[in-house]
Amino acid sequence: MNASFELMRYDEFVEALEIIDDEDMRFEYIIDVGKKTRDDDFSNDWKTEGNLMHGCMSKVWIVDQMQKDRHFFKGFSDAIIVRGLVSMMTESFSGLTARELNTLTEEHVRKLNLGALTTQRQIGMMAMLEHMKLLSRSDRVIHVDKI
Amino acid sequence: MSSIKTSTNPHLNNSSSFDVERVRRDFPILSREVHGKPLVYLDNGASSQKPRVVVESVRDAYESYYSNVHRGAHYLSQRSTDSYEEARETVARFINAPSEKNIIFTSSVTESINLVAATWGKKFLKAGDEVILSEMEHHANIVPWHMLREECGIKLMFVPVTDAGDFQLNKFEQLLNANTRLIAITECSNVLGTMVPIKRLVEIAHSRGVPVLVDGAQGVVHHSVDVQALDCDFYGFTGHKLYGPSGIGVLYGKTEILESMPPYQGGGDMIEHVTLDHVTYNKPPYRFEAGTPPIVQAIGLSAAIKYVERLGMESIFNHEQDILGYANQQLTEVEGLQIFGTSENKAAIMSFIVHGLHSFDLAAILDREGIATRVGQHCAEPLMDRFGVEGMVRASFGLYNRRKDVDSLVFAIEKAKGMLL
Repeated sequence: MNASFELMRYDEFVEALEIIDDEDMRFEYIIDVGKKTRDDDFSNDWKTEGNLMHGCMSKVWIVDQMQKDRHFFKGFSDAIIVRGLVSMMTESFSGLTARELNTLTEEHVRKLNLGALTTQRQIGMMAMLEHMKLLSRSDRVIHVDKI
Repeated sequence: MSSIKTSTNPHLNNSSSFDVERVRRDFPILSREVHGKPLVYLDNGASSQKPRVVVESVRDAYESYYSNVHRGAHYLSQRSTDSYEEARETVARFINAPSEKNIIFTSSVTESINLVAATWGKKFLKAGDEVILSEMEHHANIVPWHMLREECGIKLMFVPVTDAGDFQLNKFEQLLNANTRLIAITECSNVLGTMVPIKRLVEIAHSRGVPVLVDGAQGVVHHSVDVQALDCDFYGFTGHKLYGPSGIGVLYGKTEILESMPPYQGGGDMIEHVTLDHVTYNKPPYRFEAGTPPIVQAIGLSAAIKYVERLGMESIFNHEQDILGYANQQLTEVEGLQIFGTSENKAAIMSFIVHGLHSFDLAAILDREGIATRVGQHCAEPLMDRFGVEGMVRASFGLYNRRKDVDSLVFAIEKAKGMLL
């Protein structure tokens, strides 16, 4: 858990969810994050079979844009709640090198304290982290000059 | 079916109607809360909750007389064998099978169908032979036949359903031809609730010399079944949807057909004699029950069957039809909600979408309100393709559901719309 690098929005999410002590409100927070992720933030060109993360009950697309040696993820889902979760995950763990990404563990997901989620969705988020790690080592990385 | 008279049934109130509140007291889990809200359990199509008598029968078996069956020379083994075989008799009576020897215990209806495909199918089907299914089959009644298609080259033909979700007998008749060797059909769609006219279908199939396998996973739960009246050749169902334990399924087969079938799996109990060079197999049903069977699960299923028999399958059917009618009325009034499966002949299953909402989001909000539903493709992907949707939410009702459960569902759907739209 003692990452020596900065996690861009991770701490913000952890803090926000720590302050909210009501399960229903935590759930509504995730929905709000999902609603804020607008359709035009994620290009339709990215909604391809190749970018789908398989095994989810809803459709989840994740892309990895690499600037220099740092990975910046973007994600989207056709379901709002999952869209919120995908946004939290991709925003939390963007800006890292592949090596730094590999140091992330399930504990980082647990610390988000998404208590309102079922075990099944928690497992889904851990799978999402693994998917992002794999993506960063694959030939599907999109190289960009600017984020 | 049950021979318990209305006047002696403790679960019928003074007006001889179904006393659902009294029934609910038999199910301890129904009094719990989920996410701080009273549980509204509408996922009976996936698996139903268990009455106290089932839980107690399982506990009693393990605490009082458990041992392996059919082989021990001691008291406990004899006692367990008696209870296990008595469960077979209970199942035979429940579906009016001619004999308990027509009843094979499996782990699930999925295994029951796989057993038929792997034994009868492999022995009697060859390349070019046709098996007729319907568009609304559960994957459990598609995939085993697909595997046989890959292995032996059989052809699968599918009877389409109407926009209302009705089974089309005329289309079924059109698919029948000289190559048809088997009809494998659901009695009740797990998504649409549509009841298939099995008796008429069997008459038509038999007039062409074609046997019929019925997937009764959903059907047996909602109405009384008489396999002799239906004249079907196979009938499969599962225990856990019928208020019994998980891990127990049933396959009924006609005597002459079961006797013609080779074994399914090899092991203990399914043999007569084994030498190093030769094996002779036991008679049905034991030929198909290799190894230690689901002993206590069968005993639990027996207790569940006796429980629904006491309530009366006709009373259960009438009660559930009342809930279905009310649910149909109430859900129809929800703006943007589309119901799939509007057949006049359907069981208490309501699948729907709300336009503008992802079914996953909707089911998640329902869960937060304590309402258990199922969401997704319901192991019926071809049916989702037929209706052009990626998934649906399903509210499937059981004998302990009330009109107020429907009210809770409608309230929660409106809440979800407010949160998500």
